[in-house]
Amino acid sequence: MERKRVFITGVGVISGIGNDVRGVSESLRDLKHGFSAYPPFLDDPLAPVTLVSAPKEFQVDSNDFEDWVYPEQYRVRREVLRGFAPHGLYVYCAMKQAIEDAGLEEEDVSNVETGIYTASSGSTRLVYHNMSRMHEVGPMRCSPTGIVSAISGTLSFNLVAGFRIQGNSCGFSSACASSGHALGFAYDDIAMGRQKRMFIAAGEDVNYESVVPFTGMRALSLETDPVRASCPFDAKRNGFVCAGGGAVLVLESEEEAMRRGSTPYVELLGWGQSSDGHNVAISHPEGLGLIRAIDKACESTGVDAGEIDYINAHATSTLIGDASEGKALDVVFNSKGYSPKISSTKAITGHGLSLASALEASIISIAMKEGFTPGSAHIQNLDSQFEAFNIIRKTELVAPQVALSNSSGFGGANVSLLFKRV
Amino acid sequence: MSDQTTMKREVAGAPVAESEESLRDTLKRCPAETLEAALAYRKSGDVSLVPVIVLGIVERFLDPDVGDKLHSGGDSIEFMTDLGMDSLTMIEAIMMVEESLGVSIKNEELLNLRSVGDLKSFIHEKLTGIACEEPKTFYSVDQIAAIMPQQSPFLFLSQATVTELGANGSYLITGQEEFLEGHFKGNPVFPASLMLEALGQLAVFKLIKNPPREVQSTIDSSEIYFTGVDSVRCHRICKPGDTLEMKIQVKRVREPLAIFSGQITVNGEKSVVAEEITLAFKSEGAASLLEGSTNGLNGGTHSTNGAH
Repeated sequence: MERKRVFITGVGVISGIGNDVRGVSESLRDLKHGFSAYPPFLDDPLAPVTLVSAPKEFQVDSNDFEDWVYPEQYRVRREVLRGFAPHGLYVYCAMKQAIEDAGLEEEDVSNVETGIYTASSGSTRLVYHNMSRMHEVGPMRCSPTGIVSAISGTLSFNLVAGFRIQGNSCGFSSACASSGHALGFAYDDIAMGRQKRMFIAAGEDVNYESVVPFTGMRALSLETDPVRASCPFDAKRNGFVCAGGGAVLVLESEEEAMRRGSTPYVELLGWGQSSDGHNVAISHPEGLGLIRAIDKACESTGVDAGEIDYINAHATSTLIGDASEGKALDVVFNSKGYSPKISSTKAITGHGLSLASALEASIISIAMKEGFTPGSAHIQNLDSQFEAFNIIRKTELVAPQVALSNSSGFGGANVSLLFKRV
Repeated sequence: MSDQTTMKREVAGAPVAESEESLRDTLKRCPAETLEAALAYRKSGDVSLVPVIVLGIVERFLDPDVGDKLHSGGDSIEFMTDLGMDSLTMIEAIMMVEESLGVSIKNEELLNLRSVGDLKSFIHEKLTGIACEEPKTFYSVDQIAAIMPQQSPFLFLSQATVTELGANGSYLITGQEEFLEGHFKGNPVFPASLMLEALGQLAVFKLIKNPPREVQSTIDSSEIYFTGVDSVRCHRICKPGDTLEMKIQVKRVREPLAIFSGQITVNGEKSVVAEEITLAFKSEGAASLLEGSTNGLNGGTHSTNGAH
């Protein structure tokens, strides 16, 4: 069966570097980071971390959703809002943007040929709050939406109901590769003709309970200076900065995009995945799993590695992770004499975990459409092991033709996505 | 519930917002008079404060555009159909009532609280142990269809509440009923005979679900027949889009007969009044009503209008 071509026709973003496509684009061009000190950390001597990447104009820390503050243009009815985790609100707003951006009417969103794949790790904070309350006052005085707002899957429950989605839907839970998997399987559904349109909706909370546990595994940078805290490929990188927010992409078949007369951002050429089978939390030191994911992406799309002219790296600014990805890129590209531009936009966005791949797919979509290649910020002393790479330090005003986006999650789950300029 | 002991036990296990501070927090998004009433209730236990507390809590969960409806509509306003609340919102509101007043409401009790009046009188009864209204049980169309001998397309009852003394029910005339094509040509009017049938069905449902005290035996639901109706007046023509609001009351029982009064209103307008509707029923184990002579059923001048 012939595969259908798949295009990205809508993007919505709520993130530390901007709450819409325009804001994100400006931050990428100027390499302006989205980090700030998170007040609850400052008040707590036990929390060694200071910085987060949190969407501005949102105050969603309260366990009572009726206290939440969010931009005025999004009016969310109480019965919709009550089912949300904090990141549910981010993603809902991003979804509104993506629908408007793609020019979708209500009937385009709600039909049996349109589905949604989601990625989030749920809300540890709300789980903690609900369990504490349950032990304190008993289950009959806990919120009836306590479960649907908190457990992983919350994005699917809420968005499917809230937007009356009737097609395929499920959630992905492969940590930092989650939304990569969501994009990949959504691509498959459209390419195989199972759906005409898919939403990919990803998000994460950014609060005490979502961030601080990562310090226990020594994964976060404890720097207070944003420029030093997130600096992928730098010799002094020492961990990532946690990001929360939401990103939503609209994927459509070629026929559907043409029927609606939409102007796509990019073509999603396809994807590849593989697993390290190595360690619960650390990527394979030689990047073996990632090599295979990139190879699979190239094989399945017929793209030669030499055609790829930009790589949006997974590089989160950890010592081991960046090094492992470097090994993989060395095998796939350098060893064959290819030197695509490379950057990690996590230097300014921070690491959005389940959100990461969808956020980076949004970044690539915006960059390819608008005609720039985002640079890799915050490198003061390039780690010598990356010297052979073409890591661009500034955003260049030229669009990539074929871009690769990598994501790797706990357990060694690797996803590589390939995008083509239209 | 008039048994004080039972009531006390329930209240003892009920959640109470511990302090004034937590009560203020619980009711912080309610109208000011609701908080004042709840604070006053804490001190005085005056149950006349209950309506303003309950209404304020319900209002706090509503979209602003239906708030007026709540206040203008009176006790018959229904949470779901009139105010757009769903069952989760009901739970939220009920939890707040529980916390504010120190009552505990069970799941099965929750299902029967459909209107503002239901909730007010239910809470009143919980707090005082004195019923201001007899307890009633709500049934949906599925629950009705599951036990009725009449079935679609000859079931004219889509919801019902049953009490000790009678029952209320309703049926929406959809316009899809096949007989409306011929009754009348180009002018669909719901037949008066079928309105009586609908009342009869409501009476059958009451007999099955909640037999009058006088009935000693168990009623066989497969054999209940309409045997008569007396003094019928039709006041209003009913057409597609009208909802028949039916009410029947048990007048007397003399086995195998049960006699009811019935009336139908549409939008509060009287449509049909029947002073006596008589059903014949068979007790389990007794001989079929169809066997042998049926004289017992036809002793009077009753017709068998609408008999199944």
